[in-house]
Amino acid sequence: MKRKQRTEILIQDGGSLANKLAETITTKYNYLEIIKPQYGLTMVKMRETAKKSLFYVGEVLITEAKIEINQTIGIGLVIGMEKKMAKSLAIIDAAYRASLPETKNWDVYLLQREKQITELRAKEQAGLLKSKVNFETMEV
Amino acid sequence: MGYVAVKGGTKAIEASIDRLKYDRLKGNEIVEINTILATMRTLVDQVMSEASLYAPFLAALAIKQAGGSMEEAVFLLRAHRSTLPRNYYSETVEVEKMFVERRVSASFKDIPGGQFLGATNDYTHRLLDFNLVEESMEDHEQWLAEYKKGLEGINATEIQYFPKVVDYLRAEGLFKTYPLDDTTPKDVTKESIQFPSDRSERLQVLTRGQTGAVTALGYASLRGYGQVHPTIGEVRVGDIPIHVNHPYEKNQDEEDLFYIGEIKVTEVESFVPVPVKKNDRKEELEFEIGYGISFGQNETKAIAMSILDQCLESPHGEFPTHDEEFVLLHIDSVESTGFISHLKLPHYVTFQSKLDSMRQVKKGGKTNAN
Repeated sequence: MKRKQRTEILIQDGGSLANKLAETITTKYNYLEIIKPQYGLTMVKMRETAKKSLFYVGEVLITEAKIEINQTIGIGLVIGMEKKMAKSLAIIDAAYRASLPETKNWDVYLLQREKQITELRAKEQAGLLKSKVNFETMEV
Repeated sequence: MGYVAVKGGTKAIEASIDRLKYDRLKGNEIVEINTILATMRTLVDQVMSEASLYAPFLAALAIKQAGGSMEEAVFLLRAHRSTLPRNYYSETVEVEKMFVERRVSASFKDIPGGQFLGATNDYTHRLLDFNLVEESMEDHEQWLAEYKKGLEGINATEIQYFPKVVDYLRAEGLFKTYPLDDTTPKDVTKESIQFPSDRSERLQVLTRGQTGAVTALGYASLRGYGQVHPTIGEVRVGDIPIHVNHPYEKNQDEEDLFYIGEIKVTEVESFVPVPVKKNDRKEELEFEIGYGISFGQNETKAIAMSILDQCLESPHGEFPTHDEEFVLLHIDSVESTGFISHLKLPHYVTFQSKLDSMRQVKKGGKTNAN
């Protein structure tokens, strides 16, 4: 599974799956913390919809970690103050980049969790859609 | 006239800071950060927006430390921001992927995807609710259980993404279309703004402006101190996903980006009628779009920003709201509150000089200026 999809599932999950997967790596492999989880900023670039130009809307606080496993560096990045999750994400990123055999089994869990998250969010949105306006034109 | 150094206030300052702490503690109540986060959502949003730093926990901490003072909380968050490294820039955020929580239009009742109100104060009675004086957790839990019960049985498996009203109008040929402009934006936090300014600078300064200042100037434009009176095409509130490129992987495809999470924003497009002279010298009305955006849910500010965006896109010497220097240099919370509040700091020499001049005049002598 590619990084974009994987990180989206792991972050939207809230951290428990990331911690679980990372633990299967750390119990089996030596790892080096190149950058311990630390706070930093990411500047957010947006495209405005009036003239389709780019601008910076502001910065967002992130937590970043870098881990090395088998001479391969993995990066964990997540919005907010999430030291444990950032470290787990970095371990998982390193595991994928190093093509560790454990990662081959992870797609099943990730896809299963993705389905659950999508359904949960779809239901949350459907709840919001209860406030949808049904306009009726009045006869005067 | 220069400044002079004075001393003698150290002990007074220490005592003042103690007194500030005493005032915060003397009520024997502690407001938890999580209480602020859970119950004062829009206040947290406003602090993040004016500080230009999306960090809900830190914004709540700043509100607590500032004792509820907006200007102080924004100052604290801006100051903290300056201590952190900026290691990444996001990929361009495309708002079509927003998880929309609220979406209304004042221009059309039937917009594709429909209008939904989400959470808003707009339709509430502005009467104090004295039931809130004595709330209990049991009452909360009961209300929440009943609300969730009402959502049971909802069948939804896919998230809906909603098209922009403006794109719908562009597709019909009613609004001008623009090609994607990928010019690298300027960053006012790295380089001071110079006039005439770039569009990216204007939008960045407006979105981090003080809510009251942006609203006041937008309102002034509506009242006749400007030439923009729009109809709101769309206001939407929701979460947008943020992605970041790998810092050293080359030949990355889009699927290798990092998803780092979501941030909540309010986004507005205002439709502004503008008379345009055609080839036959006849005037026709066309619509321009004013753009507004704010961290969190802050619809008044985002709408006011969209008005000012359009004002500044069409400079007009007669109106201050169309003067970019006037607007952009006076709406920043830290700059404006900082400059105003510095007036209470010692100005003994400058004021003594003015008094001396006045005494000279009263004696019939010449002033220093002469």
